[in-house]
Formats: sequence, C-alpha cells, structure tokens
Amino acid sequence: MKRRDFLKLSGAGIAGAALLPACGGFSGGESGSSGQLIFSHGPEESGALESLIKQFNEENKGKIEVQWRQMPADTGTYFDQLRTQFDAGGGDIDVISGDVIWPVQFGFSGYIEDLSDRFTEDMQADFLPGPIEANVYQGKIYGVPWFTDAGMLYYRKDLLEKSGFKSPPATYDELFSMAKKVQSDSGTKFGFVYQGAKYEGGVCNGCEYIWGAGGLIQDQEDPNKIVIDSPEAATGLETERSTVEDGITPEAIITYTEPESDTAFRNGDAVFMRNWPYVYGIVLGGDAKIKTDQVGVAPLPTSGSGDIGYSTLGGWNLFINAASDLKDQAWEFVKFMASPEAAKLRALKGAYLPPLKALYEDAEIAKAAPVVPLAKQLADQIRPRPPSPFYSDMSLEMQEIFNTALKGEVSPDEAVSGLQGTLQGIIDKGTQ
Amino acid sequence: MGTGSFETRKGQILFYVLIVLFIMMTTFPLLWIVKMSIISQSELDATPPTILPHTFDLHSFETVFGEDRFVSGLRNTVIIAGTTTVICLSVGSIAAYSLARLKFALQKPVLSLILAVAFFPAVAILGPLFLMFDSAGITDTYQAMIIPDILFALPLTVYLLVAYFRELPLDLEEAAKVDGASPLQAFFRVTLPLSIPGVATTGILTFIFAATEFLFANTFAFTSETQPATVIIPQFATQFVTDYGAQAAASMVLTVPLTIMVLLFQRRIVSGLTAGAVK
Amino acid sequence: MAETVTGVEAEPRPSRATPGGMLRALRSEFTDRDRRLAYYLVSPAVIIILLIAVFPILYAILLSFQDVIPNQPTTWAGIQNYIDLFVDPDFHKALVYTTIFTVVSVGIEVVVGMAIALALNRVFPGRGVARATTLAPWALPPAVAAIMWRLMFQDQIGIMSYLARTLHVYSGTILGSENALLVVAILVDAWKTTPFMALLLLAGMQVIPGDVYEAAKIDGATTAQQFWRVTLPLVKPALLVALLFRTLDAWRVYDLFWVMGLRQLQSVSVFVYNGVRISQLDFSLGNAAAVFVFLSSIAIAFFFFKVLGTRTTE
Repeated sequence: MKRRDFLKLSGAGIAGAALLPACGGFSGGESGSSGQLIFSHGPEESGALESLIKQFNEENKGKIEVQWRQMPADTGTYFDQLRTQFDAGGGDIDVISGDVIWPVQFGFSGYIEDLSDRFTEDMQADFLPGPIEANVYQGKIYGVPWFTDAGMLYYRKDLLEKSGFKSPPATYDELFSMAKKVQSDSGTKFGFVYQGAKYEGGVCNGCEYIWGAGGLIQDQEDPNKIVIDSPEAATGLETERSTVEDGITPEAIITYTEPESDTAFRNGDAVFMRNWPYVYGIVLGGDAKIKTDQVGVAPLPTSGSGDIGYSTLGGWNLFINAASDLKDQAWEFVKFMASPEAAKLRALKGAYLPPLKALYEDAEIAKAAPVVPLAKQLADQIRPRPPSPFYSDMSLEMQEIFNTALKGEVSPDEAVSGLQGTLQGIIDKGTQ
Repeated sequence: MGTGSFETRKGQILFYVLIVLFIMMTTFPLLWIVKMSIISQSELDATPPTILPHTFDLHSFETVFGEDRFVSGLRNTVIIAGTTTVICLSVGSIAAYSLARLKFALQKPVLSLILAVAFFPAVAILGPLFLMFDSAGITDTYQAMIIPDILFALPLTVYLLVAYFRELPLDLEEAAKVDGASPLQAFFRVTLPLSIPGVATTGILTFIFAATEFLFANTFAFTSETQPATVIIPQFATQFVTDYGAQAAASMVLTVPLTIMVLLFQRRIVSGLTAGAVK
Repeated sequence: MAETVTGVEAEPRPSRATPGGMLRALRSEFTDRDRRLAYYLVSPAVIIILLIAVFPILYAILLSFQDVIPNQPTTWAGIQNYIDLFVDPDFHKALVYTTIFTVVSVGIEVVVGMAIALALNRVFPGRGVARATTLAPWALPPAVAAIMWRLMFQDQIGIMSYLARTLHVYSGTILGSENALLVVAILVDAWKTTPFMALLLLAGMQVIPGDVYEAAKIDGATTAQQFWRVTLPLVKPALLVALLFRTLDAWRVYDLFWVMGLRQLQSVSVFVYNGVRISQLDFSLGNAAAVFVFLSSIAIAFFFFKVLGTRTTE
C-alpha cells in the first residue's frame, strides 16, 4: 500500500468519525425543536401505543409532537439506562413510562417531577387505590398510573370440572388436593406452576405467599419499619416450598420466569398457574394449545391464617422528567395517555388492565377481556411491593432469600428472620 | 510431520473419528440456532424439544426484516466496526512501529499504559464516560461507541502489530535507509507493504470485537438510527414474552457474514499470527 | 532464529550519572530527530487513551474511596470500602467462582486447543473444512451466545436439558444449581474460545521447520518425546501470548455469568455490575471491586511478563 493511500485511508477514518454527527443521528441533551416531546417505552406488540401516539399528534398538530423512543425490552436494562441518564444530569426524555417499582426510587432522588399540583386528589380518586399507592412517597405523588397488572390464578376449568370441582380453590390446602386429584385423573404433567427464579418476578410471587398468609413486609403505618419476621410470613414461604415438596410443582420452578410457566400452561402441561394477565391475551390470540373456554381465572388462594389472597401489583406508570424543558406539554400528553378513552383502547386492543375504576363497569371491555372484571374483583386485594427509595437493594436481597427458601436450602423461619435483619439494615443505612 | 502412530490404520481411523466428533460438537449449537430460525412458533414452544426440524417456516425472518430496525442495526454495525478498525489500525500501526523499531526512553511506560487501560472493567467507567459524552453532546452518535471500542481494542492491536513488525527482517529497512529514506518513509514503503497479512489479521480481530460489542452500544445509543445489531437483537421481545425465533434468525444474519469473513481470511490469519507469535 | 532488534540509534547515550548528565539525557531524548519521531508516532494512541480513559478511571478510583449514598452528602471513606469488600460474603463467592472459572476454562482451552492445533498441523483431506468450522463459535457475539445457550439449557424447551435427562447424565435443574451453572459456563466458554487458542498455537507450530522433527526422529524420539522436547518449547512464545490474553479475559468474565446464569452466578465483574448499576447503596463497594479487578489484572499481567517470561519489547 502506498504511503499516500495509507494516509488517505487513515485521514478518511478520522474525518469520517468527526463528521458522523451529521449523518449518524442527533446529539443528545436537548428535547429537539420546540414542542417535540420524547416518550420512552419498551417494545409493544399490540399496536395500541402507536395508534394512540398518532392520534395525539394529529389532535395537537403544530403545538406538540410526540416521538416514541423505544427502550430495551428487558425492564432491568431499561431502568439501568434511565439511571445512567439521570446521573448524568437528566437526559432528554420528557415523558417516561416506568415500572411500578420505580417511582419511589426516582422521586426520592428528585429525578422525576412531583406531580401533586397537577394530579389532584380528585383526579386520583378515579384510579384504583393500589396503583396510586405505588406512586406516592412522603405524601407527594410522582406518577400517573398508565396500566396495571396483578398476579392471578389461572386454572384449567375443563379439567377441574371433569374431576368434579365446580369452583377454583380458595385456600392453598384446597389447591394442593385439587391439583393432585386432577393431575392423576388427567395425567397432566404439572399440578401448579408459577415464577420462582431469582429475579424480580420471584419477589412478586414470594410477596404473594407472605401476604396471603397474613404476613407483611413493611409496617403499614411506618414504611421505614420492616416487619417480615413473623410466623405468618414464615407460613407463607413454607406454603411456597410445599408446592415442590408435595410434588405438584417441579423442582425446576427455581429457574422459572414468566415464559417458562406460561409455556407449560399454554401447552396444556399444567393444571394451575400463577401469572400476569398477559397469558390470557396469548390464549385469546390463538398461540396456545388450549382454548379460552378451557381457561378460568381466579384470585390467589390463602394459606395459614390469612383471609385474603393478595396479588402483587404490577403495571406501568407515566412520569415527567424533572429535567425536562417541556413540562406543561408533557403533562398534556400524560393526561391524554391516562384518559379513559386511551385506557379503553389499550384494554380492547391489547388486554391491558386499566387503572381507572370506571372502566371496570364497561361492558364492552368485560366482553373482550374477561381478565378485566376479575381485576375489579381483586381491586382491594392488589398490593404493591414495599415502596421504598432503596427498593433495588431490598429486591436483590429478597430475590436471593426467596429463591434459597424455595430450594429448601434455608427454612422459612430462618429466611424471614434473616430478611428482617438485612432489609431493615438497608433502610437504616439509607436513611441515616 | 508424520509420526509413528499416525501411520497405522488404527491411528488414522481414531484421528478421523476425533476430528469428526470435534466438528460436530463445535457446530451443533450453531446448527441449533439455525434450526430455531426456520421452524414454526409451535415447534419452538414444544416440550420436549424436537431434535430435527419438523416444520419449515420462515416467519422469524419475516419478523426480523419486517421492520427497519434490524437492517438499520446491521448498517450501524458495519459503520461502527469499520470505523473502529480503520482508526485502530492507523493509530495502532504507527504506534507499534515506533515501539518495535525506534528506541526511546518511555517505551515501557507507553506500552504498559496502552495495555493497562483495557484492564479496567468497562462497566465501572460507563457512568463517567456517559457524563463526558453528554457534556460533549455526542451521546446517541456513532462516535460514542467508536471511541470506547477503540480504547479497548487498541491493546491487542498494538501488541500484535509490535510483535509482527519485530518479526520482519531488518535488512530491507536498512537498505531503504542506506538509500536515503527517513524512518517514516521506510515504514510506509517497506514495512507496511510487507506486513499486510499481520495488518489484515489484526484488522479482522478488531472488526469482530467491535461488531460484537454490547455494553457501550447499549448505554450510549438510544434509537435504531445509531444502535448496532447486537443491541437490536434482544429487542425482539416484550416485557414477558421473548421471540426466540426472531432472535435466532437475527443472530444468524449477523454472524454468518462475520464467519464467512473469518473463513476467507483464515489462511491469512494463520500466517499472520505465525509471524506475530514466534519471536 | 531470533534476531534482536537494535532499533535506530542516532548517537551514543550520554551518561546519566550526574545531574548534568540527566539533563543532557532528557534534552537529547526530545531533541534528537529520530526520538522525536518515535514520540510523534505513539502520540495519537497515547492521546486517545489519556483523553478518554484517564478521567473515567481516576473518577472511579476516587469514588472507591468515598461513601456515596443517594440523597446524602458524600463522605470520605478512606479504605473502609475495601475493608468492607474483603469481608463481604458475596464478594468471596464471586472471587471463588471467578478463580475456578479462570483456572479451569483456560486450562481446558490450552489442553484442547493444543490437541486441535496438533491435529490441524497435519495435512489431511478436509483440513480446510476442519479449520473453517473450528472458527465458527468465535464469531458469535458473546451476548447473543449467552442468550442462546440459556435457552438451550432451559428446563422444558431446552435441548441440552432434554439430552442430559434422556442420556441420564444429569437429571436435576441445570440452571438452578450454582455449581451446575459454573460447569456449564466453563464448557460454553471453552466451546467459544478454544478456536482462538487453537489458531494461535497452530500458527506457532507452523513455523517449526520439518527438519527439526526429522532430526528428532533420527535420534529415535517417540511421538510424545517429539511433542515435549521439540514442539512445546518452540511454541512457548505463542502459548504464553494466548495464555495471557485468555486469562485476563476469563478473569473479567461477565456476559456468560450474568446473561446465561440470569444472576444465579456471580463473577467479580457481575459483583461490580450489581454494585455500580443496580444497587443504590453498594455503589462505592462496586467501585472498590472495579479497582480490585484493575489491580489484579495488572498483577496477573505482571506475573506473565516477569515470571513466565512473556515478551513485549526487548
């Protein structure tokens, strides 16, 4: 290679790199032209989001234009990216969609806007109490619920009927006996599947067992006080472990996340399943070996002395970036997305549970997505995971201990007393 | 070359058996990924899994190419990896020549600096790097990924090129200098042309490294305008449901050209590494 | 065979024994035309590194000496973070797993890589094909490979779990046990990087002229003796280079443990990630761990250079 060519090549390389801002996308740090809002959310299959954004842009032509920035599909990675941008000064996203466990963490650090003035108590009253609770920290509200999710008990209506059971179990004792009988009658592979892997979903499940037995993680009056060390909580974890010991759940449950459990149920390999509403949407859509008339949904059972089967609150909310320059416009968009019309569209098109009380009376929605009326029934039984600015750290601990307890490597009593210490320690360290 | 045990019939058969077994083990997972990309969704979900494909269905490829983002990702991968490689080679080769042929006091410290920088876990400097890029206004651009890629690719580049340059016989360069060429001219007229295999080798290694990089791309690129394919592939999913068929198909599309490139150049790579390794 | 590089000397070096001598040495270092050229040539690389890497690395090091908690003033922690780090049980686990992983996977890769290189060194029909397929695993992006492997080991639809069960190799839950995961991670890493080792070793072997082997055979050496006495010593430089880079890579393993293990398995780098990116309270601990990785990597490299005699410059 001649010298000239070599120099040309390297010069081109360096010049190319320098010129790339012109062609390789825009530089970050600003919200684009005036009135251009950036809205972040992960990938979405139903198309409901796209049509909503299009509708908003048409209605607000010339004033506001919303651009959907697609974030990582994995919730943890999405959270990660947001934190990086917040740490660096805020980033350029104006309206942020966020998992229900984020608002307190972000609000605490001042990354998202306090919406108490805009999102009045009157407006809040239209929403289900659980999702609202998850967005509140120290009396201030940081997010507007967008859609909600709750753990529910799926069951094979047809198999239960064949074995002589008319209704789903109300307690875990009933579930165990039903599962065993149906399993032996029908030869189904698994009696009960759920999510027991060492990840956030495992925490959701673990919490449900604890609450369903009458236990609590955080004191209801004082969020800085951990009260997980109780016989009720231990009973809850013991119930979870019994599913494996009694043989209705495979040992591999300790690696199950949502896909593993929904695959089993969809293939007809499980009698009972604990999962989120999305599975119903899949069955409805025909991507399963079973049909909707074979599937029933019910509230989660109780164990021990618990009287209500609580479901862990999931779902997503809308926040406004504290560093945004377009907060008023952002609020317009948030109001639009959280409105009954938008929520209804999402419920019909994508089976997303609306967080608005009124929509649970809507007959159209009830027909299209039976999970919705069930969610209404559950409305008082949906509880958020412990809202705390340090939830990430607490979650890491709970993920570990719940999984270890499920493996049987630590007794339920040790598990809850250990967690008592570590969780309280986290809160103390953070609030010192 | 030939030795006693190889000559015997038994030895030969055993040898071939081992080779075939080895090839099977190496390629099986890749063939599995190919299978995942050409079967139907219900076969993908089947329990227990099927070994040979029962269905033939290109829906995964339709998903992958149905929208712009993956093609855009491929384009970005080529741009990012290509630029990284060109810059690494240019900057690295002149630095390597200096370290290999010219004597100067700070030789050891400079080489140590170049090597040591890559020892720091990339994940721990993501935050500060983001801060820097954000203040410079270059987040969500190609540069934001090219720069860290160069940083982490330079050590191997420089190292290999140093070893390679040192391998070349001095007399040609000496002859050029006797004819009146400066060291720089000697480098461009003599060393460089002779070292094409080594440069090509290093170039391919650098390209593959940059093309398969994930962490920086994931943090600094926000839209499919700038994201390379490695970041786009996991996006064929939603919160609870992962489209493994599409991810397998996309991985094939990304990996196959890389593999072909490596195969085409494998003879060059071997001879390149030959010179670099023995000293 | 080995030529020493004498480099280009412009003038004899002045004595440095005296202050005057040192000043003169310093001055000649930068005024001599050829020396200056040398500095110019390395400067782009050095500038890039200094500009980009120095600030973040120093910042991370600084953070490791501070106590950073959200919404609280940052205090100086001195070496407290490092003390906390070394008594942290998670860190111990990570250290143990990472060490086992590094030693075993690099060990396997060296042995198997050597065997493959020896095999490919012979001429046989289909050698090109064999060489080509050897390289295939290496071109797959690590993050993608980790996802695919996790899928293959998944309990219900994973082909590996299925095979393991039907062949009665292992009937437990592979992904659920930390030890099983470690074994799997080692095997996957070996699958992926043995090609690289094999190629480097093969390259080293191909330079060895045939007559050396002929001479050994004439002297009555057996195959084994030929390997130990001829091949191995001559391949040693290539071997050490390969070992160095592989060891450092294995020591800093992240993708394989994090993505494939879905956080069941901790490596030191995963520990860093947890501290720096996920946790709110363990941020400083994560930075301390990052500095630990940095220093230990330097120590490993040092060991390779000084003790094992890997060469860079003369």
